Amino acid sequence: MKTRIFITFTLLVLLLLTSCGKPKQVLRISGSTTVLPVISKAAEIFQLSHPNVIITVNAGGSGVGFNQVANKTVQIGMMSREISKQEISKFSELKFTTHTVGRDAVACVVSSEVYSANITSLSLEQIKNIYNGSVKNWIEYGGPDRQILVIDKEHTRGTRHVFMKAVLGNKKAEAAGADLVLGSNNEEQTALAQSDSAIGMLSFAWVNSDVRGVAIVSETSKIEPTKKNVIDGLYPISRNLNLVTFEKPKALVREFIDFIKSENGQQIIVECGYVKN
Amino acid sequence: MLKINNSTFGLSYIILSKMIAGMIILTILSVLVIHSSDGFTQVGLGYLSQRWFPAQAEYGVLSLLYGSFMVTFLALLFAVPFGVCAAIALSEYLSTSYRLIVKSIVELMSGIPSIIYGLIGIVFVSQWVKDIFNLSFGRTLFTASILLSIMIIPTLISLCDDVFRQIPNDFRETAQGLGLTKFEVIFESLLPIAFPQIVGVVLLALGRAIGETMAIMLVIGGIDKIPVPFTNVFVPGQTITSKLGREISESSIGSLHFSVLVSLGLILMIVVLLLTFLTYKVFDIHERVHE
Amino acid sequence: MNRRELFDRLFKGCTFMALSLSIGVLVAIVFFIALKGISSVNLNFLLSKTQDFGAQGGIFYQICGSLLIVFFAGLFCFPIAIGAALCNSEWIRNKKAKRFASTLIYALNGVPSIVFGIFGLIFFVNYCGMGISWLAGSLVLSFMILPTIMVSSYNAMNNIPQMYRDSALALGLNSWQVITAVILPQSYLGMLSGLFIGLARAIGETAPIMFVATAFSGVMIPTSFWEPVSTLPTHILALSQEAINPLALENAWGTAWVLICIVFSFSLISLWVRIKINTGIIK
Repeated sequence: MKTRIFITFTLLVLLLLTSCGKPKQVLRISGSTTVLPVISKAAEIFQLSHPNVIITVNAGGSGVGFNQVANKTVQIGMMSREISKQEISKFSELKFTTHTVGRDAVACVVSSEVYSANITSLSLEQIKNIYNGSVKNWIEYGGPDRQILVIDKEHTRGTRHVFMKAVLGNKKAEAAGADLVLGSNNEEQTALAQSDSAIGMLSFAWVNSDVRGVAIVSETSKIEPTKKNVIDGLYPISRNLNLVTFEKPKALVREFIDFIKSENGQQIIVECGYVKN
Repeated sequence: MLKINNSTFGLSYIILSKMIAGMIILTILSVLVIHSSDGFTQVGLGYLSQRWFPAQAEYGVLSLLYGSFMVTFLALLFAVPFGVCAAIALSEYLSTSYRLIVKSIVELMSGIPSIIYGLIGIVFVSQWVKDIFNLSFGRTLFTASILLSIMIIPTLISLCDDVFRQIPNDFRETAQGLGLTKFEVIFESLLPIAFPQIVGVVLLALGRAIGETMAIMLVIGGIDKIPVPFTNVFVPGQTITSKLGREISESSIGSLHFSVLVSLGLILMIVVLLLTFLTYKVFDIHERVHE
Repeated sequence: MNRRELFDRLFKGCTFMALSLSIGVLVAIVFFIALKGISSVNLNFLLSKTQDFGAQGGIFYQICGSLLIVFFAGLFCFPIAIGAALCNSEWIRNKKAKRFASTLIYALNGVPSIVFGIFGLIFFVNYCGMGISWLAGSLVLSFMILPTIMVSSYNAMNNIPQMYRDSALALGLNSWQVITAVILPQSYLGMLSGLFIGLARAIGETAPIMFVATAFSGVMIPTSFWEPVSTLPTHILALSQEAINPLALENAWGTAWVLICIVFSFSLISLWVRIKINTGIIK
């Protein structure tokens, strides 16, 4: 008796699963946590008009996005940087297409307590010294007497590539002064807010009252990480937000990418705090 | 036992199941070995350095080994005294009715998923460590070891309790008959007998602790460096499991980076297997597989 | 009070303190999660989908995903575990072979969870070409809990008195019938107990399924075998990375509470089954 109940139950579950409409088309996307909010929102809207499609989105970072496209595990990889030469050479027989869907800036961010203690701007040279460990205390730049908590990111993250290229000159540079190595934008934001003396790198759309972006000072100017400065091209640390596909995209993949590039899609980019293409 | 030779269906089902079950561990081992061969052959002695920098093809794992060792060692240091004493209380001092309740609670607690410890670690323990020890950040090797020790205490208590329970009552009665107090009975008579078994239990807990990923990954800070001086545990570090959890999806299958990571997994697995075999063969501890 | 008695009392106090502290910390953790979590868990939370990176909305699909993966994990490994246990208890007579077989199983039990994840990634997602799918996750989890169920069933089978088997044989049953008529019914409580403990462990695991079966968003109830799902532990992982956002944190506690409730339910069912076994024996 019990076995019969059990078998019926299992069959019912299997039936339920397989009968939930025709098997839907699955579009898999993964990669940068900077591009993730945009794609997640866009996916929700796209699925409303395409009820037969399921779009799954995963994080992991720009490097993961690229790797998974190359391994054919996903169809679209989100990257907040360009594909690096090393990555291309690893998969030299394969062709990839990069679709730019927006622009973003990488802000050098500090904890709000540091910002209110007068560190509102730093030069690229100063940031470089902090990240390679030559400067260890905020007091050396006119701030409070506290040890700098240097937050670094995992090496394949797009945000890091762009930041390191601008600050240390080499996107794969090592940060000898790093105290913590974190992953996604969320994690970094949390750690910056939890500390009262931290410095890190974040997409400027993630800056808030606990996590402030400093202006970049050069000999001639002082540029804040604002939307206007990014649109005008003045802010020095900026990048394209890209979707990478294997060869040329077809059918569903093409449709989705076209959607992001369309008026509606670009509106989502703006709503998330980034800059239109 | 029975000779099943006149029911071919039954026989084939049973043998097939047994073979599948036995093959699983061998499959896992072979998959790991195949995918780590690249790492071992191409990096070779490069493993023995402190610099982990895949972008420049440097794969030194010493800082990972240090991290794993230190975190586990400290966790056991905190957990074993508590665990053994608590087990003594449970097995020797508590009366039967209380014993059942407390033992059930302990077993229930050992089922708390590790990600929940990770959540508590990020939100609370790292903040407390930061405040109590006046550090600039709470994500350190020390924080990880505290979380880990809380995690392995239920296992320790349960298994040590089993060990004590297995000692026949004759020993206790004889000792009491000689006029020893309860403390002396335990300390002079039971502990020495149970000692080898307890060592086995500790080794088993060690095996568990080394393999723990989630809770450690979130609170350890991810820095691939051995602290200077090496006894300073109030700095961020990295363990083998944490490194695997964070970087596996970052490398593409078939690359050298991936191969090195798999080799780390293989090393981890072999260490844990050795510890498990040691405890079963030498110390004869049979872990209740449901923990 | 002389010195010996002093030590005695002191020691007793110390051990009780150790016990209360250890248990106290763990129970405090559970109570704390309950406190924080209960306020976020309401019918809406349980039945709606996640929105806004988890800061809003509910965990319906996460619950579905977790239950689905775990149900099928149990389904896959149950027959194999029972068959293997039967083999050990009824067929293999050679002590050495028995020992060898048990060794393989205990070895499987000790494998760290992240190694299972790596294995699943290479073997199921890649070799077998399943991609990141809930099926791959189920299979990995079923490997993980196989030893638990097998050992529990084996112990139950071993405890059946030889007399039962002999009587059955004397009545003319062939050996397979003895298994189905005597061994299985007598040991099914042990099997159930092992099963529920395995399920309790499997549903709380993050590392094995984190890169084999899960996606962060966009998943609903899968319509085929090859789609990823979202699960409670991976959801907690994602939320814990946003710990500074109070809304996300609230939802994290809520999810943690739901997870603990499910895990404890499975464990309690298994405990109840074991008590039934024990009282059965005493009678």
